[in-house]
Amino acid sequence: MRPPARRQPRRGRCWGGAGLLALAVVLAAGAAAADAPPAIGAEYRTFYGASARLAVWVVAEIHLMLGAFVLGVPIVASILEIVGWRTGEARWDRLARELTGLLAAAFSTTAAFGGLLVFTLIGLYPRFMAFLTSVFHETYYAYALLFLAEGFTLYLYHYGWDRMRGRWKGLHVALGVLLNLWGTALMLIANAWVSWMMAPTGVERDTLRVVGTTWQAVANPLWIPLAIHRVLANVAFAGFVVGAYAAVGFLCARREAARAHYDWMGYVGNFVGLAALIPLPFAGYYLGREIYSASAVMGNNMMGGAFSWAFILQAVLIGILFVGGNYYLWIGMGRIGGAERYQPWIKYVNLVLLVSFAVWLTPRNIPLTGEEQASLGGQFHPLLKYFGLMAAKNAAVSFIILSTFFSFLLYRRGNKGRRRPFAEQGRASGLALGAGALVALAIPLWYARALLMLDPASLDLAAAQAGYFRLPAYLLLGQAALVPVSLVLTLRDRGPLAQGLVFAWTTLAAVFVLGVYGFVVMEKANPFLRHLAVAQWLMVLGCLLWNTLLDVLVFRGAAVAGAIRWGRMPARAQYTLVLLCVTIVMLMGLMGFIRSGLREDWHVYGVLQDTSPWAWTPTTAYMTRVVGAIVLGFLGLVSLVFWLAAPRAADDDGEAPA
Amino acid sequence: MRRHLLGVAALTVAVVLAIAALGELITRVSGEGGERPAAAVIAGVATPEAGEAIFWGKGKCSTCHAVGGRGGAVRGPDQGATGPLGQPIGLRAEARARERSRATGRPWTAADYLVESLLDPGAYVVAGYKNEMPNPLRPPIRLAPDEVRAAIVYLQSLGGTPDPAAIALPPGLAAQARAAAAEEWRAYVAGDAKKGERLFFDADGSAGCGRCHRVGARGGDVGPELTHIAGTRDARFIVESILEPSKVIASGYETVLIVTKDERHVTGIVRRESAAAVEVADSQGRIQRVATRDVRRRAPQAISTMPGNFGEILTVEEFHDVLAYVLALR
Repeated sequence: MRPPARRQPRRGRCWGGAGLLALAVVLAAGAAAADAPPAIGAEYRTFYGASARLAVWVVAEIHLMLGAFVLGVPIVASILEIVGWRTGEARWDRLARELTGLLAAAFSTTAAFGGLLVFTLIGLYPRFMAFLTSVFHETYYAYALLFLAEGFTLYLYHYGWDRMRGRWKGLHVALGVLLNLWGTALMLIANAWVSWMMAPTGVERDTLRVVGTTWQAVANPLWIPLAIHRVLANVAFAGFVVGAYAAVGFLCARREAARAHYDWMGYVGNFVGLAALIPLPFAGYYLGREIYSASAVMGNNMMGGAFSWAFILQAVLIGILFVGGNYYLWIGMGRIGGAERYQPWIKYVNLVLLVSFAVWLTPRNIPLTGEEQASLGGQFHPLLKYFGLMAAKNAAVSFIILSTFFSFLLYRRGNKGRRRPFAEQGRASGLALGAGALVALAIPLWYARALLMLDPASLDLAAAQAGYFRLPAYLLLGQAALVPVSLVLTLRDRGPLAQGLVFAWTTLAAVFVLGVYGFVVMEKANPFLRHLAVAQWLMVLGCLLWNTLLDVLVFRGAAVAGAIRWGRMPARAQYTLVLLCVTIVMLMGLMGFIRSGLREDWHVYGVLQDTSPWAWTPTTAYMTRVVGAIVLGFLGLVSLVFWLAAPRAADDDGEAPA
Repeated sequence: MRRHLLGVAALTVAVVLAIAALGELITRVSGEGGERPAAAVIAGVATPEAGEAIFWGKGKCSTCHAVGGRGGAVRGPDQGATGPLGQPIGLRAEARARERSRATGRPWTAADYLVESLLDPGAYVVAGYKNEMPNPLRPPIRLAPDEVRAAIVYLQSLGGTPDPAAIALPPGLAAQARAAAAEEWRAYVAGDAKKGERLFFDADGSAGCGRCHRVGARGGDVGPELTHIAGTRDARFIVESILEPSKVIASGYETVLIVTKDERHVTGIVRRESAAAVEVADSQGRIQRVATRDVRRRAPQAISTMPGNFGEILTVEEFHDVLAYVLALR
């Protein structure tokens, strides 16, 4: 795949020179085109005669994508390094180091685009930037210092890898953690700006003047929900981008050992991507709920207005990610000796995924001609209309998550044979089981109590309608009751039965019972639907956490039924990883458009109006064209950066994992 | 190796193109327009049609309310015949007004109920729905009083009879509207006067003002001369004259309709008139001569000959360029 290392710097310089030349040509052409005198004190300026909004959109999106990679990879690398450190397996450490090599190369590009973004905003939207600066200028200095700290820590972390081994390894691990702390703090500051633009706090309602403190502006209602969503999305993004990097490495590898290395790296990338993807709908729901609470107008516009079609497109992309991720896992079972036992299950999982996605994709309302309405018998299809409602979609997404998790469990136990009795596993396993049980109990009990104590008046419901809160509360209590049952079963070496019980209960309760009950709630006590969705998703989350712990403990030290043959993967598996990468980059672009576009013609929602000529909401077609071009640009840029970074990583050309 | 790299590149481009094609399909199927302005503009006329535009556009009412088979929102009551009480809102408002009379002990009309529903939505919440409707006068919706009135007329028309005269908005609202109107107008885009001059005199361009208006020695004579217009009129008046030319028609430039004996309709400004013939300039600046003996009927018109669609055919930048040029004519 890689050209000889000594040739690369020269080619890199060629590329750099060509890039600078191209930039100079563009700037010169722009300067020649801009024959008008500069508009002093203008509220908006054009970008060399072109749309300022488009220019900012492109630069901001590429910066955000690079930022997602630069923030997500250290989280993954740090975890991998800790795993390698604690288990003593060198392959984890090598992988963490290889990822950090990519990170170091991407960091400066991210910074360059960050600078470009600031300059375009100041140049093209001076009034808005002056306003934003008047609120947030105190955070700018902290941002700059944190950026410096992150850069310094990153290079220390990357170049200090060899020096900090042995007894200094703990210090190196601490540097990785510190790197993540700086990165998260940076993200939190930037999130404060954009989330405040959506939900401004500290603004006088009547005069629309900013009267609050900087902290009030920072701690706006969307700050934390957006941060949670972004951290998870960044990790998923980093996982799938790393997966694609590994896929290309695999396809171009000439040696078996290198193929095995990249196969394993691709598996880890896909695992990380899927693991972060699973809780993302929960985080998305939380963010959406808070957006709705901050502004019902914005919330309704998001799911039922101009952006509802963008969410259909989002469902398609998430569908590709889940189905693609599962497909890769299923192909991967072919390289695991003993996994053929579980192959028959896959067709059912596939069926569940496809049916659930069909439900998730079904729009509630589409424009129909009179002829189409007549043949349908009205605006809505008699059956499909129900699939367009939130109750059906909540059930469908819960089923998708549970199915994906089921695939992962099948993969995990592919080569596991006879289990070790739990009593032989030692005190640590017992303690972990007990602690996990407490968490698994606390989640449903906490929310069941909240539902039983919920005041119907707080939802504008009559006292008699409190009866609708009971069923989800009782189902949560039922799930809590299963925790001690499954604990006892595990202690008596009936772990798989315990897992099956928890799984079956969650699927039955969260998907089927509450899925159907959601329609009743929509009809009889609509405001309660949001609480019902939280109950569903807490049940699924509880099931995932508890079942993962059970799986780890139940199969700990189990006999090996067959070897994992790393490197024995067909090319189509690698192309699947590339597909996942392109899809998540496209998804991130789409979600960026939605988050920003929700403000419509407001720079700061309800406070500072966007009166520029570009304050219109683009169509889905326009949006996909722009985002598609950005995605190609970003992937091209990242390929170039990775290629330039390749000489360092090529030293060992990858090795087979143990 | 090269084959695989090409394969990866081809797959990447194919995926992006497929998603872009899906976006194109969505736009075509969903009926999204080209550039959708975030705010619908109405001419300050309280008609059901104007209200309908508000309901399904700027007012964002349709994100929560369906109207029978139109729209799919379920968060708020359906305003069509499939809504609460099995009646459309135009009829249902009568029953609600009776409820409000009983609850408050004072007389309520259906129009009063609709006004209250829009301006104080929390005062009465339909059973089964949450008190979450925002005040449409406040940002980010920020309807003008005329737009509120139009929306109410539209709701009246759903099963009932539109009656703008019955709508009594709170007195403070009218004062608020007057205050807003009195604010000094200012352009929000810095126009380029040089470009504006080119647009002004480009006879084949979208503006083409010079076809009818003279500035100094250049331009036509159909409309008023504009050589010193910015010295005699303020910016707001000039903007209105461009976008709504019929609002105030300059004296001597009124439009007439001439119907000839052979059923020809000639509309324009009378430029010359003699005992034998009338010369009329049309909206494109062309002169048409009609013999007096051929005139069957002649009627003054309230609509200006100047095209009233500059708000649509000019881009925002072009409009501001032309405006910058005109505002420099002192």
